[in-house]
Amino acid sequence: MPILIDENTCIDGCTICDYFCPGDIIYREAKDEPPIVKYQDECWYCGACVIHCPVDAVSIVFPPEMLNCKTEVESLVRIPVLDNADPTGSSET
Amino acid sequence: MTSPATRMRAPSQKIQTIETDIVIIGGGVAGCMAALGAAEVGARTVICEKGGIIERSGSVAAGVDHFIAILEEGQEWDTPDYLLRHIPAVTEGVTDIETAGRLVYGLKPMVKYLENLGVDFHDPDHDDIPYYRHRAFGLPGEYHINFDGHNFKRAIGHAVRKTRAKVLERVMVSEILMEDGHPRGAVAFHIRHGTVYFILAKAVIVATGDVNRMGRNASGFAFDSWHMPYNTGDGHAMALRIGAKLGNMEFTDCTLTPKGYSTQGLNAFVGGGAYFINALGERFMSKYTPAAERAKRADLVNGVVSELLAGRGPIYCDCTHLPVEEIRKLERTLGVDRPALPIYFQQKKIDLAKEPFEISVGEIATVRAGALFRGSGVDINVDCASNIPGLFAAGDCSSVNAAIAGASVMGQVAGRSAGRYALSQPKPSPVSKEDQERIRDTLYLPLQKEEGLKFNQFEDEVRAIVTGLIGYRRDEKRLREAMRRLNALKEREAEMLAEDYHGVMRVNEARSIRAVAEAVATSATERRETRGGAAHYRIDYPERNDETGLRIVLVEQVDDKLQVSSRPTGIPPTPLSESPIKKENA
Repeated sequence: MPILIDENTCIDGCTICDYFCPGDIIYREAKDEPPIVKYQDECWYCGACVIHCPVDAVSIVFPPEMLNCKTEVESLVRIPVLDNADPTGSSET
Repeated sequence: MTSPATRMRAPSQKIQTIETDIVIIGGGVAGCMAALGAAEVGARTVICEKGGIIERSGSVAAGVDHFIAILEEGQEWDTPDYLLRHIPAVTEGVTDIETAGRLVYGLKPMVKYLENLGVDFHDPDHDDIPYYRHRAFGLPGEYHINFDGHNFKRAIGHAVRKTRAKVLERVMVSEILMEDGHPRGAVAFHIRHGTVYFILAKAVIVATGDVNRMGRNASGFAFDSWHMPYNTGDGHAMALRIGAKLGNMEFTDCTLTPKGYSTQGLNAFVGGGAYFINALGERFMSKYTPAAERAKRADLVNGVVSELLAGRGPIYCDCTHLPVEEIRKLERTLGVDRPALPIYFQQKKIDLAKEPFEISVGEIATVRAGALFRGSGVDINVDCASNIPGLFAAGDCSSVNAAIAGASVMGQVAGRSAGRYALSQPKPSPVSKEDQERIRDTLYLPLQKEEGLKFNQFEDEVRAIVTGLIGYRRDEKRLREAMRRLNALKEREAEMLAEDYHGVMRVNEARSIRAVAEAVATSATERRETRGGAAHYRIDYPERNDETGLRIVLVEQVDDKLQVSSRPTGIPPTPLSESPIKKENA
């Protein structure tokens, strides 16, 4: 859950986080109900909702995959070897 | 239980028709400046912005901290002529020099223009001087103004509200309507309530920004991207579909980021004096570029990729040699680049003064073609016009741009040019009710599906191909395989499903990302040389080749297939200092 909204602090009727989120992931559709983070996995972790909330009701929680990422970076840049029998292999190299 | 898909099955979405002179796709800096430019020449516009409100939408919605400016304050470098003479060097000889000239000559008037809109270019840390200027990104002078741009976009958005421009927010354009080879408007839909808009117009301006979510990253989260993940090349893809040529698509971008968080901040670290070290504890960057850590981004990425491939990873960013007060200042700067970045380091529980942190090469994206004054996108001339009469483009989705300064200048140019063009054109003919309903029903087909492919599964396949087969190191064989697989993936687009209108937006975005990736692979096969650091590194052609390379590679869609060609840049061979570009471009 990257974005947490404190329902007790949040002000009735305010829609700043809904409008300022660039990804259309925070929805406040009813005035007296707290905003919901409808598409958590589409968060950019930009922090726009956090810095613009007038009552500091929004916090951002980075998941372990981001804080203590275990990916070997070399795996992103490794050059795969294509099977030479692959019929799509180009003869132009 | 009734699923959302079932509830939305009946094609009952409202249809609205709007008539205007110009439809502007994208309400970021370029799109809003285009609306202002069009208003100047008396043209009516409709801006479609898929984000929330135009005061807070687009890549710099949350803020920006630098702006490229020419002020003619007396220094030799501080003139448009001087900068333009150096553009061939800045772009390694590959950009359309005439169009770049239009941008360069627009920089000085743009500062005054934006100040009149209420943008404050003063640096809060240097209150005693009118502009705090510094040298960055390999430019031949102190062109960058440092300022607190938290409200930059708000000022431009406010100005648009004062014009007659009609602003449609949370509205995504899904296709450009054509008639006899000219745009006649666009189809758009509301991403929350589903209303479909048929916007009849005489000209279309594409201002959809850069293309992200295209490559794999360390966290594995698709929306964890360096630049805004909601910029997905929709404009590139729509332009391709109507026959427009895209330029410079082979040059891709990525950055160096803390491992696990693809974010801005690289410039703050290297500008603040941080070093990169490898697993052996060695500083290595000077092996790859004489400017070491101060080199341009694509060269820094190239250095890190080279070390990783040589087996000397992991790579770390090290600030521990810096004075503690410098590190604290650096930490404050990081929050301007990306508000959540200081929070990230707090939660990571890392003290930059005490230990280095591991970095990653970021995901491959199409941001600005690896150099300022170049771009990867719709190939534009001095008037921001494409090869399709009536189709214009500006900003990061076009072939010539320079960050927000470029988007400001060229957005305004596009608005003025499209405005003059539109006012000379006859009214577009209306779309019949039957056609409107057919287009709407096709648009909402993903809502009809009970099962199928999710947009993120489809995108994951694109990302695997982009990172594995286009990659940070390229060769003909793998590029051809990337083209083949990306083309085959096109057949699966129709399998994608959506549960709501927001989901329909994501499905459209996934299609756009695939189309752009295919254009990148196609363009990269044609440039048989290495140029621009990691922006285009061919292991089968590892040298720069000025005999064949000083051209702009173009991609276009002909009979549903991508074709590649190239054209000259307009840069005279030698001497580059005698540029023919004159001030009349301004």
